[in-house]
Amino acid sequence: MPTRIVVVGGGAAGIGAAGAARQADPTATVTVFTEYEDVAYSPCGIPYVHGKEIPTFEQLFLAGKEAYVEAGIDIRYETRVTAVDTGRRQVTVEGLGAVPYDRLVLATGFDYADPGVPGGDLGGLYYVKNIRRAMEWDKVLDSVRSAVVVEASPLGLEMTTALAHRGITTHLVDPHPWPLAELADPDIMQPVEDSWGEMGVTTHFNTRIEGFSGDGTVRAVRTTGGEIECDLVAVCTHKQPNTRLAAEAGIETGSTGALVVDERMATSVAGVFAAGDCCELPHGVSRVPIACLTGSHAYSQGKVAGTNAAGGERRYQAVYVPWGMVAGKWMIGGTSFGETLAKALGIPFVMGVADGISRARYYPGVKKVRVKVLAEPAGHKLIGAQMVGGEGIKERADFLGVAVRTGVTLEDLATMENVYSPPIGALNEPISVAAQNALASLRR
Amino acid sequence: MTRSRSRFARWLRANSERYLLEDAQAEMARRYLGRPGPAGERGLVPALWRHLFVPVYHRLPPRLRQSAMEAMPGSHRRGWRTPPSRSHTPGI
Repeated sequence: MPTRIVVVGGGAAGIGAAGAARQADPTATVTVFTEYEDVAYSPCGIPYVHGKEIPTFEQLFLAGKEAYVEAGIDIRYETRVTAVDTGRRQVTVEGLGAVPYDRLVLATGFDYADPGVPGGDLGGLYYVKNIRRAMEWDKVLDSVRSAVVVEASPLGLEMTTALAHRGITTHLVDPHPWPLAELADPDIMQPVEDSWGEMGVTTHFNTRIEGFSGDGTVRAVRTTGGEIECDLVAVCTHKQPNTRLAAEAGIETGSTGALVVDERMATSVAGVFAAGDCCELPHGVSRVPIACLTGSHAYSQGKVAGTNAAGGERRYQAVYVPWGMVAGKWMIGGTSFGETLAKALGIPFVMGVADGISRARYYPGVKKVRVKVLAEPAGHKLIGAQMVGGEGIKERADFLGVAVRTGVTLEDLATMENVYSPPIGALNEPISVAAQNALASLRR
Repeated sequence: MTRSRSRFARWLRANSERYLLEDAQAEMARRYLGRPGPAGERGLVPALWRHLFVPVYHRLPPRLRQSAMEAMPGSHRRGWRTPPSRSHTPGI
């Protein structure tokens, strides 16, 4: 009898798990339950359609439904799993009843944190998640003159930029002193803030939301800094792991509220795996578990969970979280720790900063690049980096992620070889100069 | 027992992270931007976290802080390999 593998969730982690399970055991039956109408699209692309950088939502789809049928994956769309019984090894599915499994993969994703203020039930509050709803909201945006983005989270930064790019009067409200303050440093974010000013965005930092006002539909946001009139609110509060099903089934959660897993993405209950935003992974430097990372993390974890659920052997690893994005007119990125987070956790570090350029100074399209590196005071192993620039940020973030993971030192970076070619790289690599500056600061 | 331990760990982490970050953000905002710190909540409980927990945390020996964090329930206790290049954590 073939192994019955059930996957709950059709996002990057769930689809990654389903595909990997079929690869590991082509005889297994793989069933994916998703409460949504679609799978296999890029939700991360939604803000760019709203911003008119991408013409249509159809371009965000990676594969048609038939591709999964051909791959032997049975996807049940708009089908909600309401309970998990790990003792009987079955899930309860709305409209189907009990569905047995041999191995279960939970890929239940995340929910946005509730803003926790009055007026949360008004119309006109947009939570960016599902592509079908995004298509509907995109039509609404045609008639929106003024919008408020709640919280300068990664999605908040993208939505602020997108709405401004679309020509909508945009306000960004956040309780912290600068955008993305839980991740990025203020000097990295300053150019982004300045560019939003150029794009007509009004920022309200150190400002808390007190409520949403309106008659059925939101007409204003009440804040500690006064009332902001608007036609729409994009709620971009931080992500919280969706673990309701698992927690009710008695599966262990950790200090992040996400599911506890081992390297095989196995949960505390035999035969149950988890992947994506609903589970937590140890950070490679601090060893403290973290959750709700990126789509690429979710997909990779799904592949590990799916392979192991099908009887294969694959392991995940501690994470160093290289990240990057476009905000305003700039690219920002980094890996592992920045100065703010290291300071908050009391991690001692030495730091070097360099302001460089992305191409030869005379080559058309040359852009500024600022790199900041942090390293252990003893041994000088890299513990993190942050960057802002006009281009080349993603590649540097990926490289520095591996550098932190493999224990590269400031000396290694200070003496690194680098590509020099006028159209694609400057004589001095800013990463190397930042490391040289960190070492110089130690000699002073 | 496990559930209540998880709930406590979640509460402790959420609050400690929030107030440690708030403290660091206030210093960074002053230094880099000349702005005040985050718009934190007022009241006795937030004041205790800010004025008792945060200074005590920063005065604890790094190894004690690390031990406390490692004692929390979570994925880090499920046998993940430590990367060979990083046999210790830098000062947490």
